[in-house]
Amino acid sequence: MNYLLYDHLHVYLFVAIFLLFCGIAGVLYRRTLIGMLVSMELIMNGAGLNLAALNRFVSPENASGLAFTLIIMGIAAAEAALALSIIILIFRKYSHIEGGNLEEMKD
Amino acid sequence: MNAGEIVFLFIILATMCGAAMTLFSPSIVYALVGLVTAMFGVAGLYIYLNSPFLAMMQILIYVGAITVLIVFAIMLAGPLYRRPSEWTTRGKLGAALGVALISLLLFFRFVVETFPKYGAPRFVMGTKDIGRAFFNELMLPFELISLLIVVGILGAIMLAIFSRGRR
Repeated sequence: MNYLLYDHLHVYLFVAIFLLFCGIAGVLYRRTLIGMLVSMELIMNGAGLNLAALNRFVSPENASGLAFTLIIMGIAAAEAALALSIIILIFRKYSHIEGGNLEEMKD
Repeated sequence: MNAGEIVFLFIILATMCGAAMTLFSPSIVYALVGLVTAMFGVAGLYIYLNSPFLAMMQILIYVGAITVLIVFAIMLAGPLYRRPSEWTTRGKLGAALGVALISLLLFFRFVVETFPKYGAPRFVMGTKDIGRAFFNELMLPFELISLLIVVGILGAIMLAIFSRGRR
């Protein structure tokens, strides 16, 4: 039987792994906090794509993976709001947003 | 190869190029543009996974809300010309690429050995089924997500108010 390209699970999983790869490398490699946050969003996208693909190919009789992808989106929104407010606070206090120089968050 | 596969390949290419641009672009604004490209690509992949509701939510939440939030943060965090260089040292680049490549290879091997290679069963889960899942067995996580978002927004507002009062 001839399967089309978008009927393969591995293609989706490879794209999700590549997103995770770019996200991890970006978190380690970027220097500013906003760059790290952008890479973190990439990781969340990869996780969501992974869950949706596995739900569609491995257990197609329920919709739990899609629901959890929506939950991941909600968590990402809340996380981005809090992280950006903290980043702006750090910028007001130290007038830079480099991650390497932040040694103490208090005072 | 039919037209659907060509579009699919184009979407995958756009997603991976966007992710690479997020990693390697020297300016944070271009990195954000790459992130938006990758998010649109993931939305297209959701459409290929027979879940258009998820694609719409992806565009609405990620591209519509989070990207605008990050753009506001970039604009508020000082002028762009005083920004330090975006990357750390070359040794850290090697370390980051090494860690990420090890994870990539491990996960790739795990995925190839674990999951079946072919087989696309019929998938009829629509928006109605997602709603049923949310309101039957995932009731508690759904409510907790709403609580989390409310607490997050209140925390952001509190941080803004008290930091302004102290200075």
